[in-house]
Amino acid sequence: MAQVQVPVTVLTGYLGAGKTTLLNRILSEQHGKKYAVIVNEFGELGIDNDLVVNADEEVFEMNNGCICCTVRGDLIRIIEGLMKRKDKFDGILVETTGLADPGPVAQTFFTDDDVKARTRLDAIVTVVDAKHFLGQLEQGSEAEEQVAFADVILLNKTDLVSADELAKVEGKITAINPYARIHKTQKSQIDLAAILDKGAFDLKRILEFEPDFLTHGHDHNHEEEVKSLSITSDRPVDPERFQKWMGALLQLRGGDIFRSKGILAIDGAPKRYVYQGVHMMMDSDWGVPWKAGEKRSSKLVFIGRNLDGDNLKRGFEDCLKQ
Amino acid sequence: MKIDLANPAWRQTLPPARTIGADAPVAACAFSRDGTTVAFALGDGSVRRLPADIAAAPADAVPPIHGGAVLALVADPAGDGFVSGGDDGRLLRIATDGTATELFNQKGRWIDHLAAHRATGAIAASVGKAAVVVTKDGEVREFGPHQSTVADLDFSKDGSRIGCAHYGGVTVWSIGQVTQGKAAPPPRRFAWRGSHVALRWSTDGKFIATGTQENDIHVWRMAQATDMRMQGYPAKVRSLSWTADARFLYTSSQPVFTAWPFSGKGPEGKPPLQFGEEGAGLLSVVAAHPTAEFVAGGYDSGELQLGDIKAKRSVVLKMADGSALTCLAWSPDGFKLAVGNERGDLLVIDLRR
Repeated sequence: MAQVQVPVTVLTGYLGAGKTTLLNRILSEQHGKKYAVIVNEFGELGIDNDLVVNADEEVFEMNNGCICCTVRGDLIRIIEGLMKRKDKFDGILVETTGLADPGPVAQTFFTDDDVKARTRLDAIVTVVDAKHFLGQLEQGSEAEEQVAFADVILLNKTDLVSADELAKVEGKITAINPYARIHKTQKSQIDLAAILDKGAFDLKRILEFEPDFLTHGHDHNHEEEVKSLSITSDRPVDPERFQKWMGALLQLRGGDIFRSKGILAIDGAPKRYVYQGVHMMMDSDWGVPWKAGEKRSSKLVFIGRNLDGDNLKRGFEDCLKQ
Repeated sequence: MKIDLANPAWRQTLPPARTIGADAPVAACAFSRDGTTVAFALGDGSVRRLPADIAAAPADAVPPIHGGAVLALVADPAGDGFVSGGDDGRLLRIATDGTATELFNQKGRWIDHLAAHRATGAIAASVGKAAVVVTKDGEVREFGPHQSTVADLDFSKDGSRIGCAHYGGVTVWSIGQVTQGKAAPPPRRFAWRGSHVALRWSTDGKFIATGTQENDIHVWRMAQATDMRMQGYPAKVRSLSWTADARFLYTSSQPVFTAWPFSGKGPEGKPPLQFGEEGAGLLSVVAAHPTAEFVAGGYDSGELQLGDIKAKRSVVLKMADGSALTCLAWSPDGFKLAVGNERGDLLVIDLRR
């Protein structure tokens, strides 16, 4: 039986960045929609509401021999439980603690069949504290990783910084992850349409979500430990060699690759081949057909830690038709 | 009176049954201890009770007693009513007249799994990382915390222990009264990597079976603490059911009935017994008959199949198509079957011939 998949938005951000303010607004504003909110154990949401569910952030290793294959066991249980309710939801928001890695949450939606049947991961939204972000980068890897994972970034508390400081923070965010949409906000004031139901993980919408995806190169050669990297080519891709290379790469380096996506011009195929993944998990499908006479080019994007650009480029070039 | 599971007419028309549309997903169903009433746990927070006699006038819909959804339901082992758990964190005893009294309440937690032990009258409930046992006298004893949320639990045959499934394996607690001045006996842990999502203690008390997140079955032999793993399921096995004589363990998540043999030397090195017609989907719920060698299986594609393991025969009952079956319960005498689905259809089928 075909089921409507409820969109799930993952909300991350350092402590105090404004996640709770945003959730309070989503729960209290009159928007005619019904959202379930799964909050973390340290959450301070003051709302007592049966749409708010407490989670424990139980990160489980899958017993399949792959060490970076971790999922949120509590989330699987909670989503199954929510689906037993008579009232259905327009969306589900999952708040993670300020120090949590968004990876296991995202991977849950790639791994569990029951969760996949009933929900779809919509986007990862990261709230960034404009005043404290640069300091948080010094304190550990969390703030940086949360930005790296993001599809949408709320650059919040912009009223607390000067224009210069704001530009510096924005530059830093773009250096880590140039693909996320940045919305500058104060007190987490944002049109909910800008953060909910974005389809960032929808393979059919990879192009729609990033209209400039294939036109701008975003190569950054900064010193950042976490950065993004893109590779392009106009030569057709050999599918077998690509599968082999990507499989081995994610097996070996999946822990360091937070997000990856790509559009490939497969040799002899009439349609684009699109994929996207979180760590080792990956979804792929055939996308929009190439138009007659259209230039067929491939583009891969990686966001991760310690990415070796030259190595990745060489690896991909080996997958191309001579 | 007897049951004929191979009655071919049932392929076209259901045997005598009562069907009621409840318009809310059904999480669980159960017959009362005396077999006179059947109850369904609904996603609108209500527990709908119906007379087991399908000719009797049905009771009207009742207002919600839980906030949110009712997630678990068992027959009250200490009476002829029911006990329900909900995502409002409440454990309720529902008397035969429908009045609900609270046995336990932990706000902010879900009570999503229950077990009942008839001889002792005790009820066990999962409450976050802990398990709670409410004795016949209403005394509440807490066991845990476990390393993760308790995903399922069950009583041992004699009711002296509970087994709790969680991430990393199973923990077995003695629930007997702790004598003054003596420490409670430490729990026994049965470790196996990964997340265990379903648990059933065998009807002879000798085995604990779990279904895992990785689509396996794991079974521990209590006496030797040895264990075995059965692989090859295409989905998580959420429903496990031991036959009354403990000779077979039925498992969901296959297109046909799948029973592991536990008589003699056990299932090691043997294939499971498989029989029945292939459903359009996979079995989402299985229920061994309380006395005879029959089994009922509900599919995620909405079909209902009844099987006879001895004769290896089965019949697929014609059902309203489409909605995944979520629960099955046999009446204590084994002549009636309660069925619930995701859409909210409540069925009581009378299989007497």
